[in-house]
Amino acid sequence: MIDVKNLSKNYGDRPAITKLNFSVKKGEVVGFLGPNGAGKSTTMKIITGYMAPSGGEVRVAGFDVFENPMEVKSRIGYLPETPPVYHDMYVRDYLTFVANLKRVEKSRVKALVDAALEKTTLGDVAGRLIGNLSKGFKQRVGLAQALVSDPEILVLDEPTVGLDPKQVAEMRQLIRQLRGQHTIILSTHILPEVQASCDKVIIINRGAIVAEDTLDGLSRRMSGGGHSVHLRVRRHHQTVTTGIAAVAGVRKVTNVGNSIEIETDGADETVEKVAGFVVTEGAGLMELKVQSLALEDIFIKLTSPGATL
Amino acid sequence: MRAMLTLAGKDLRNLLTNPLFYVIAGLSTIVWSYTYMRGLLQFAQRSLAMNQPGMEAGLNLQREVFLAHISYVHLLFVFLVPALTMRLLAEEKRLRTYDLLLTSPISATEIALGKFLAGLGAVSALTLISFFYPLATRLVVAYPFVPLMSAYLGLFLVSAVYVAVGLFASALTESIMLSVIMALIFNLMLWFVSQGLGEQSGTVGAVMEYIGLGQHFTGFIMGAIKLNSLVFLCSVIGLFVFLTQRVVESSRWR
Repeated sequence: MIDVKNLSKNYGDRPAITKLNFSVKKGEVVGFLGPNGAGKSTTMKIITGYMAPSGGEVRVAGFDVFENPMEVKSRIGYLPETPPVYHDMYVRDYLTFVANLKRVEKSRVKALVDAALEKTTLGDVAGRLIGNLSKGFKQRVGLAQALVSDPEILVLDEPTVGLDPKQVAEMRQLIRQLRGQHTIILSTHILPEVQASCDKVIIINRGAIVAEDTLDGLSRRMSGGGHSVHLRVRRHHQTVTTGIAAVAGVRKVTNVGNSIEIETDGADETVEKVAGFVVTEGAGLMELKVQSLALEDIFIKLTSPGATL
Repeated sequence: MRAMLTLAGKDLRNLLTNPLFYVIAGLSTIVWSYTYMRGLLQFAQRSLAMNQPGMEAGLNLQREVFLAHISYVHLLFVFLVPALTMRLLAEEKRLRTYDLLLTSPISATEIALGKFLAGLGAVSALTLISFFYPLATRLVVAYPFVPLMSAYLGLFLVSAVYVAVGLFASALTESIMLSVIMALIFNLMLWFVSQGLGEQSGTVGAVMEYIGLGQHFTGFIMGAIKLNSLVFLCSVIGLFVFLTQRVVESSRWR
């Protein structure tokens, strides 16, 4: 659906992104992840045809963004960082205006406006001035605006920034509901958001892609297939630590205060053996938690200088 | 085409429902009512005095009253049109709604033309208000209509020039303040470029005289619709709309 090849963009002398390559298939929900200033918004602006790249090409639904901008723009719904709403318009009038601007067939305008209002649960405020709405509602109007033309592709630039926790949860819920109806690209620097809504993650740092995979795949690759086990015991002695380190399959043991962090080869038997050892040792097992590497760890590993996959 | 009309409709509605428009229209009406009333009463007195036996020639309503009225309307337009057009593009940029326009299937040409039409619509509404004065006079005096129409055609074209200039100024900046000041200065430049040329003769003087708005506007006011004036004013409008289109298009390449 979206093919990005060797995409580069310079602002003056400063490169914002350099030679990005990725593709997004129809129906996928892709999280575009990176620290602030990594080039997420720039990439999105180029995909939507807002600005021209310095090099490379982007094809959306088979159309080149720069040769056929009209075709591309009519297929994309875009929610920029700041929702592009007119403060002196009523919600319903605004959505009707956007639908007409996006060249939705005249006969469908009203139905699509109603559908967008319903999906974003804005029905109650349809007759209010946008300027009088709270930030969360404005953000939702912004999302309704992206949805109103029923686009094949949705590009959402940090859709939950500045919302309160309840609104964030609602926004994520909404994005999950949209899955399957649209191909979605979602940029964020908030990790749980990706975990909550995306099939695939593209991690970008300093203008270059550092990882592109599914969440599970990334997690497996980063940990080398191993598990990390969190262990807490009542009677914590040096003998326990050395004993665990001797168990077959255990790679590394570290003491963190009252608890012990263990890296294993990922086999279930290893975890079983570790648990058995702790029990027979009589150390008083309080807690044992097996976790694959969390997205947060992956992110920090990948975006710290000199990181490789 | 449809996207352009959608945009024009949105902006025209926005301009006409904005309190600013009512303030401008209201205050203009006060000024025009005073000046027009005064002009008309003076004319009535003088024509009464002239209406003695042996003074058949009489006075010309068009030249004595309407022209003064139109020049007052024009004077206000030099300052008020920038105030109406200042937000057309500057505010879109400031509120980031420009992002919506640039990512919608609407070309830079359609954006520029749509915005121009909206501005022209709002200014035409003001022009229409000013047209009621001579129109109401027709209830009491019969006068030839054609010269008045010519003068109003001139006023319409000149105000369209101001709209195009104001739109261009609005495209250049994010600041509404700067937009209105630039438009005002451009307007005055177009007007004063041909002033004070008394001593200047030769080609330079002729060119300066020709590119000033004054000479062309005066022609229309005197009831002469000259082809070169029509072409000139339409070209200036086209030029500034085209420049706006270039500025809008250029925002993709930064």
